[in-house]
Amino acid sequence: MGAIALRRNRHDPAAEPDGLREPSAAAIRPRPLRFYLGIAAILAALGGLATLAELPEWRESPTLATVNLVMSLTFILTGLLLRRERGQRGVAWALILAGVFRSLDFIDAWNTGPWPVYAVVFGGIDRVFGGYALLRYPRAALGRIQWAYLLGLAGWMVLSRGLVVVTSTAQSTGYPASAWWPTISANPQLSEIFSTAQNIGDAIFAVLAVILLVRRLVETRGLDRIVIAPIIAAGLAAVFAVTATTIAQVFSSISVGPTDAFVAESLVDVLLPLAFLVAVIQRALLARNLAGLSARVSAGADLGRVRYALRETLHDPTLEVLDVSGSGAPVPGPAQSSAQSSALSSAQSSVLSSALPSARADSRLVEVIRTDAGAPIAVVIADAALERYRGLFDAAVRTSGLALRNAQLQAEAARAELDNVRASRARIVAAALAERRRLERDLHDGAQQRLLGLAARLTAAMSQTEDPGATAAFAGARDELGLVLAELRDLAHGIHPASLVQGGLAPALEEVAERLPLAIHLDVAPDRVPPAAEAAAYFAACEALTNAVKHARASQARVTVHVTASQLEMEIADDGAGGADPAGRGLANMIDRVSAADGEAGIDSPPGHGTRITLRIPCG
Amino acid sequence: MRIAIADDSALFRSGLVLLLEASGARVTTQASSGEELIASIFPARPDRPARPDAVILDLRMPPTYTGEGIQAAAEIRARDAGIGILVLSTFAEASYASQLMEAVGYGVGYLLKDNVTDAGHLISQLERIVAGETVLDATVVRRLLARKRSAGRMDTLNPREREVLARMAEGRSNVGIAKDLYLSPRTVEAHVTSVFGKLGLDQTDTDNNRIRAVLAYLRLAGDQDGPDR
Repeated sequence: MGAIALRRNRHDPAAEPDGLREPSAAAIRPRPLRFYLGIAAILAALGGLATLAELPEWRESPTLATVNLVMSLTFILTGLLLRRERGQRGVAWALILAGVFRSLDFIDAWNTGPWPVYAVVFGGIDRVFGGYALLRYPRAALGRIQWAYLLGLAGWMVLSRGLVVVTSTAQSTGYPASAWWPTISANPQLSEIFSTAQNIGDAIFAVLAVILLVRRLVETRGLDRIVIAPIIAAGLAAVFAVTATTIAQVFSSISVGPTDAFVAESLVDVLLPLAFLVAVIQRALLARNLAGLSARVSAGADLGRVRYALRETLHDPTLEVLDVSGSGAPVPGPAQSSAQSSALSSAQSSVLSSALPSARADSRLVEVIRTDAGAPIAVVIADAALERYRGLFDAAVRTSGLALRNAQLQAEAARAELDNVRASRARIVAAALAERRRLERDLHDGAQQRLLGLAARLTAAMSQTEDPGATAAFAGARDELGLVLAELRDLAHGIHPASLVQGGLAPALEEVAERLPLAIHLDVAPDRVPPAAEAAAYFAACEALTNAVKHARASQARVTVHVTASQLEMEIADDGAGGADPAGRGLANMIDRVSAADGEAGIDSPPGHGTRITLRIPCG
Repeated sequence: MRIAIADDSALFRSGLVLLLEASGARVTTQASSGEELIASIFPARPDRPARPDAVILDLRMPPTYTGEGIQAAAEIRARDAGIGILVLSTFAEASYASQLMEAVGYGVGYLLKDNVTDAGHLISQLERIVAGETVLDATVVRRLLARKRSAGRMDTLNPREREVLARMAEGRSNVGIAKDLYLSPRTVEAHVTSVFGKLGLDQTDTDNNRIRAVLAYLRLAGDQDGPDR
C-alpha cells in the first residue's frame, strides 16, 4: 500500500436531493430471511474477493490482513443494511464502495503488474467514500463545502501520488522491478519534493477533515446528534490514526510504511464502520423511546406534560405543543408533513410566531392532534430535522394524541360527574329549603293558630265572669299566651321568614333591619329570584348583620342587592371593627350556604376599617 | 250582627265564635276555606240562609297558605258589595294590607289575630267595617310609622299630617281623629286636605280620596321596603 495521507474521513457521493424521510420506519420493519441470506451471500463473495486481493498479505502480515478484511466486510454489511433506508441509498453505496476499495488498498502485496502503482495512486480512494458517508449521514444531501472538500481530496490524492510515481521507479519506491511502473523521468530529487508536498497536502486535508467533522457535530441537534456522535468520534480517531501513520512513514524515510503502524491505523479505522453499524442500529432502536413516552403521558396528560415528554423523547428542546382546542381556527390537515406557513391560518400563524419568536414556521415540522371527531386539540411544532425520524415522530405524536384525547374524555367525565354533584346539591338545598318552609308553616298555621284560638277562648271566658279574681287570672294567662306566641313567631321566623316567601328579599330584609339595633340602609332591588337563591342571600345578610352588631360593634350598615338576568349580587358593608375571620363558624357557614346555591362570597375585613361582604348567586 | 267565618284552624275558629257570641254577635256560617265559605253564603239553591253582615277571613288558608283570604275577599266583594270584610292575619307587614285595600276598596279591615283580645273592640271594628269604613290594625300602622324613610312623597308630610293620615288609615272619621288628637274637626279637615294635596289627590272626591290616601300611604310606606322608589 502506498503512503497515504488521510485515510477516511469524509467523502461524498451522490446525494439524493429529495427529502430524506422515513428512515426508522423501514429500519424497524422486520426483514425476511431472504434479506439476510442475500447479505450473507454478498458478504461471502466480496470477502472472497478481498481475501484474494490481499492474498500475499496473509503471509506477510496476517494481523493486518485480518483487520482489513473485517473492516471491509463491516463497511459492506453496514451499507447493505442501510440500503433500504429511505433517503440513505447514497450513503449505503458509499459505505459499500468504501468497503470494496478498502480491500483493494493492499493489493500491492502482489508486487507484480500494475497493482503496486494502483495501490500507491488510488490506495486512499476508500477514504473519499467513507468521508462521504461520514459527512452526510443521515441527511439528504451534502453541503457545498463538503462536496468541495471531498472532490479536492480525491483530486489531491491522485495528483500528488501520480506525480511521485512518474518521477520515481518501482525500486526507488520499494517495489520489486517486476512491478509495472509508469516512470516518465526518474528524478529522485523531484520525487522527494513531490513526496514532501504530498505529505504537507495530506496534513492540510487532515486538518480540514477535523474541522468539518467537529463543525458537523456542533451543528447537529437532537436525535441526529445522538445518532452521529459515535460516527464522528470514530471519524476523528481515523483521521488522527492516518496522520500518525503518515508521520511514522515520513520519519522512517521509506515509502512502504512500517507494518505495525498500518495495523494500528487499521484497528482504529475499523471503528468507523462499526460506529456506522451502531448508528444504524441505534436509529432503528429509537422506537424504544416511545414506550417511555407512553408511560409518561398516559397518567394525567396535559399539554405541558406532553410537551415536556415529547421534547425529551424526540430530543428537540424547541418542540412546542400549542392548545388549539378553543380557537376554532382552521388548522392544517392531518396529513401535513412539512409545515408551510401558507397552510396555517393567520390566527395560527400568529400563535406560532408568538410562541416561537425566533423560529420560522415554514422551516418547522407541524402535526395536528385531533379528537376522534376531527376537532383539533393541539398542534405539535418540531424541528424540521425530525423529518428524518418521521416514523418515530408520527408514532410519538400519535401516542401523545391518544393520551390527550383520553385526558379530554376523563375531563368530560369529571365535568359530567361535577354536574351530577351540582344537581344533587341543588336538590338537597331545595329539599332543605322546602323542609324549612314546611316547618315554618306548621308552626304558623298549626301551633300558632291553636294558641290564638286559646287566646280568643280566654277572652270569651273573661267576658263571662264578673269575678275580679277570675278576670285577673284570665288576663295573666292571656298575657303569658301573648309571650308564648311572640316566641313561637320568632322561632318560625328564624326557621324561614314568611315575608321572604311572600314578598322576597326586600320586605324580609326590612324586617331584619327593624329588629337589629343598628342603622341599616337598605338598597334592595324588588325583583324576585328563585327561592334557593333568595334564602341563601337572606341568611347570608342575617349572618353578616348579626356579626356587625355582635362582633364588630358597628353603628351603621348598608345592604345593597342588585339583580341581573343571571345573578343576584349583594353587598353588606358595615363601619365596625373589621378583622372578621372567614374561617370562623358564622362566616364559614355563610360561605357554605352561598356555595350550596352555586354562588360565591368574598370577605374584605381589614382590622379597623369595617367589613365588606360581597356575594354573587346565580339565578338564571 | 250576622257573621260568617272562614279559618282553617278549627281551634281558632271556635275561640273566635265563643268571643263573638259572648259579645252578642251571631256566627251564621263557619268554613275552613274561602271557597267553602263562598259556597255557603252564595248557595246555588234559592233558599239561601241569612246573608251575613260581615265575613271574617283568615289570610292564609288552604291550599297554598299564601294570600287566599285576599282572593276570597275580592270575590265576595264582587258578588255582594254590601258585605263587610275583615281579614285576620298574623303578619304585620304592610304589603298584605295594601293588597287587600287594592282588592277591596271600602268596608274592609285588616287586623292581627294577636290583637283580637277584646270582644267589645272587635265588634265595634266590625260595625265600622259594615258601615263602609276602612280599618287597619294599629300595630301595622305603628310599624309603618316607625320605618325610616329615605325619600318620596311621604317625606313632604309634616308630623301632624302624618298622625292624621295614620288615623285615616285606621279607618277613623275626621271627628274621631279630632278627638284622638285633641284638635278641632276643622283643623283635622285642613290637615286632611293638605295630605290629599301633598299626595296629589283630587280635592273634591273626599270619600274616595280617603281610601286613596290610605292606599298611597300603604304603598309608599310599603315601597320603602325597597329602596328609593
